[in-house]
Amino acid sequence: MHLKGLFKKENQPVRHQNQAEAPNVPDGLYTKCESCHEMILTEDFTQNAYVCPKCGHYMKIGAYERIKMVFDAQTFEEWDEEFTGGNPCHFKGYEEKLGDLQRDTGLNEAVITGKGKIDGMEAAVGVCDTRFLMGSMGYAVGEKLTRAIERATVEKLPLIIFTCSGGARMQEGIVSLMQMEKTAAALKKFDAAGGLYITVLTNPTTGGVTASFAMLGDIILAEPQALVGFAGPRVIRQTIGEELPEGFQRAEFLLEHGLIDNIVERRFLKQTLSTLLRLHKKPQAETMSRYQQYLDDIYAKKIDIKKEEALLAAKNEKKQLSAWEKVQIARSSKRPSALDYIGYLTKDFYELHGDRAYRDDGAVVGGIAFFGKQPVTVIGQQKGATTKENIVRNFGMPYPEGYRKALRLMKQAEKFHRPVLCLVDTPGAYCGIGAEERGQGEAIAKNLFEMADLKVPVLSIVIGEGGSGGALALAAGNEVWMLENSVYSILSPEGFASILWKDASKAEKAAQVMKLTAQDLKELGIIEQILPEFPVVSSDNMNRVTLYMKRKIAGFLVKYQQMGGEELAEQRYQRFRGM
Amino acid sequence: MFQKLLIANRGEIAVRIIRACREMGIKTVAVYSQADADALHTQLADESICIGKAEAKDSYLNMERILSATIASGADAIHPGFGFLSENSKFAALCEKCNIAFIGPSARTIEETGNKSEARNAMVRAGVPVIPGTKEPIFTAEAGRKFADEIGYPVMIKAALGGGGKGMRVVRNSEEFEKNFQNAQREAENGFGDNSMYIEKYIEHPKHIEFQILADNEGNTIHLGERDCSVQRRHQKMIEESPCTALDEDLREQMGAMAVRAAKAVGYRNAGTVEFLLDSHRQFYFMEINTRIQVEHGVTELVTGIDLVKEQIRIAAGEKLGLRQSDIHLTGHAMEVRINAENPDKNFAPCPGTIQELHIPGGNGVRIDTAVYPGYIIPPYYDSMIMKVMVYDKDRESALKKMRSTLGEVIIEGVTTNLDFQYEILKNKEFESGAVHTDFIEKNFEETA
Repeated sequence: MHLKGLFKKENQPVRHQNQAEAPNVPDGLYTKCESCHEMILTEDFTQNAYVCPKCGHYMKIGAYERIKMVFDAQTFEEWDEEFTGGNPCHFKGYEEKLGDLQRDTGLNEAVITGKGKIDGMEAAVGVCDTRFLMGSMGYAVGEKLTRAIERATVEKLPLIIFTCSGGARMQEGIVSLMQMEKTAAALKKFDAAGGLYITVLTNPTTGGVTASFAMLGDIILAEPQALVGFAGPRVIRQTIGEELPEGFQRAEFLLEHGLIDNIVERRFLKQTLSTLLRLHKKPQAETMSRYQQYLDDIYAKKIDIKKEEALLAAKNEKKQLSAWEKVQIARSSKRPSALDYIGYLTKDFYELHGDRAYRDDGAVVGGIAFFGKQPVTVIGQQKGATTKENIVRNFGMPYPEGYRKALRLMKQAEKFHRPVLCLVDTPGAYCGIGAEERGQGEAIAKNLFEMADLKVPVLSIVIGEGGSGGALALAAGNEVWMLENSVYSILSPEGFASILWKDASKAEKAAQVMKLTAQDLKELGIIEQILPEFPVVSSDNMNRVTLYMKRKIAGFLVKYQQMGGEELAEQRYQRFRGM
Repeated sequence: MFQKLLIANRGEIAVRIIRACREMGIKTVAVYSQADADALHTQLADESICIGKAEAKDSYLNMERILSATIASGADAIHPGFGFLSENSKFAALCEKCNIAFIGPSARTIEETGNKSEARNAMVRAGVPVIPGTKEPIFTAEAGRKFADEIGYPVMIKAALGGGGKGMRVVRNSEEFEKNFQNAQREAENGFGDNSMYIEKYIEHPKHIEFQILADNEGNTIHLGERDCSVQRRHQKMIEESPCTALDEDLREQMGAMAVRAAKAVGYRNAGTVEFLLDSHRQFYFMEINTRIQVEHGVTELVTGIDLVKEQIRIAAGEKLGLRQSDIHLTGHAMEVRINAENPDKNFAPCPGTIQELHIPGGNGVRIDTAVYPGYIIPPYYDSMIMKVMVYDKDRESALKKMRSTLGEVIIEGVTTNLDFQYEILKNKEFESGAVHTDFIEKNFEETA
């Protein structure tokens, strides 16, 4: 049976007497996504931080909208609101153009500066706005930013700049070019004064802005998919006549190439900036001894210390594991990795990526976290638990860019007076063509050289394998500790056997004679402490092991934070001088 | 009154609404998906607008397309039916913004009643009984037992993240509490990595009793008596009837008054349903408010003689409720059986397909709401309910006999249905006695199922 046309229909147009009462879609209820062209409820768009809920596209947003999104309500105070530039190169029609834009956008120039609060923490801020000549930098943008940087220097405020810009402003010619150096120079002074500078790269950030204030952040964040580059993709394509790879110059590409610290989804931006500001607040001087006291109290409550001492003493009586057995334990894929320890030992770890030059090395992880209430820089060599993870982590064998990332983070720690905690766990520095091309030897040497002089406390803990120079590059600390079943040696037992006896299969025998266990190294005076495992550290008993570690680390910090920068460097010098 | 009304639904409920509109002189607009071009509602309405692909998210759940169709057709109201967007507060709010009358309560009420804890709090404030339970998670057996002792046994211990019976225990006395709590907590910790537990009063062998309510825009609120929906399979109702044999006039009055109070507590407008659990000691507890017309609304229509869909439309158009509580009398007995295209032998898996042969029964006291016809192809994209068979007679015994006779006349060839399964229920002695509880199907038919 087909129903089509069987029923009588009475279709008449409806007349509404009052047009205002007729059903209609009010203006602005919907917004069209510029990427997928779907009609999106404006409310959904706004609530989703102007990210399309259907396709995930990031809409460009205006400067004031950005400020509203990131800063606490009613806390923003604008600086140099009325400031405008002139027409230095007498470019025809430029003044009219500026006038039109000022009328249309309600902005005086392409950047808004001022200060405000994020979760109650004050910060100076600059926000570019693409609606104004693509956020390009002319005199006014350069001047407003420079003034903001100078004022942040004087008022000792952290500085956050949201970039989005086509680059220098063509209409202002060479004057525009000079803004690059002007802003960079102001930032150098801000840096020397110890200020924290965070940049957030948003779509698009190119040309003279990338080559000046955008890439000079202590921490560089970017929004997903943001196009960031010096020369724009079209210019590159025309110049070299080649197709550019998929995702070229996007934020994800930059992260992979070690040029930015992290990508942050817009909805987490405020939270991320808040965490970073908090991690850069100065703790009170005595917080670490209070934390140590707190840890001692917990320890006394949870663990019978007498019993523990007896247990440790009895352990020394018992038959020890052989060196080769310890090598196997240290290498086991079940052994907790650096990130596991970071999770147990610290809070609010924020990972920072990249060497700012070539690539982000997965074998080295690093970032800032709280140890108690003390911000610390944590750096570790990271192994994977699975094959898939190990492809990313390269089995914990760093490339030169891994060491350069570590060094970058250590220098950053020094600037902000943060102690450095290094977790050593590597079979050795990666041995391969790329590693040599990019100077593996130089990278390790530079770490030893620079670490010698760091003006902050450095503690290195070998948690698994301490493989040769690749390990030493993170182990030039004021003290070096080892977990009970970790090993630390000139090279692998296999390598040792093959060099000395031309037979890698004699690794077990090599391990016996190499003096690579924690106990051997303590006797040799190479390390200060052995951290007991109960009996072998694993994901099941990490709580116990890391509680012990925490107490010891707190003790280390109480002791070394009392020392001045020069004194710390000298202590470190003497430590190795005697070996 | 509205001139034109758009039905944002399909199947028998869309047809039901179209019929009400025709009787009221309101033009109708059907919306349909590409799979529903030949559907009865598409053909029956004065106008039909295709709003997208077969999948519900592209059509019957696509708010933008439905709003566009409404405005393009000039309709001034939307009836959402049940399911789809009927309890979507966002959609109701959008209608409000676009000057379209949404036939149902306000967006705010839908939101408040849709949020379990918010609704529960509103009921506690209004003095409507709710199942006593802990508001905050409990971590120790000691604290749990203290609470259980207070509210009385039996109690149910539930893991906050629990599911599938894991981390759940029924405890009947104080002595057994500690052991059960610890076992449940261990299960929860191992199963979900979380040891937060909740404790609530365990209602043994409850009946699912719901009250139909009507409220106009001035807040005049009445109830239209109850429906007994205790015959359920995994929370899917199968047979509904009114009145419920477990209620006498006194209890009906008490529960009805509470239903009205519950509706008033959330500023309810239009037709709605207040669900209660009723235990064997005549204690009843608020469950939730359904802010839509129900599948089983016909049962109430049969015993009260009131057309609920027409009432809904009148209220939405701003008319004052023409009925007072004293006008409502339940006479006789009505029963509804839901016929689904599904296979009881294969765990009730949906059975879409073509209806080859069809016989729809009729006669005195028989009402069939359906949208299927011979040759109709049941699409696989939507709910599998294809027909509601309702009967009405002077008392339960007569109604039950009529239902058996009527079901015997239903012939649906071409697709597998639950018809025989329903027939088995009607023959069941316990069902015949009227004393069934929500665990009836599980207890009597799980082997068959």
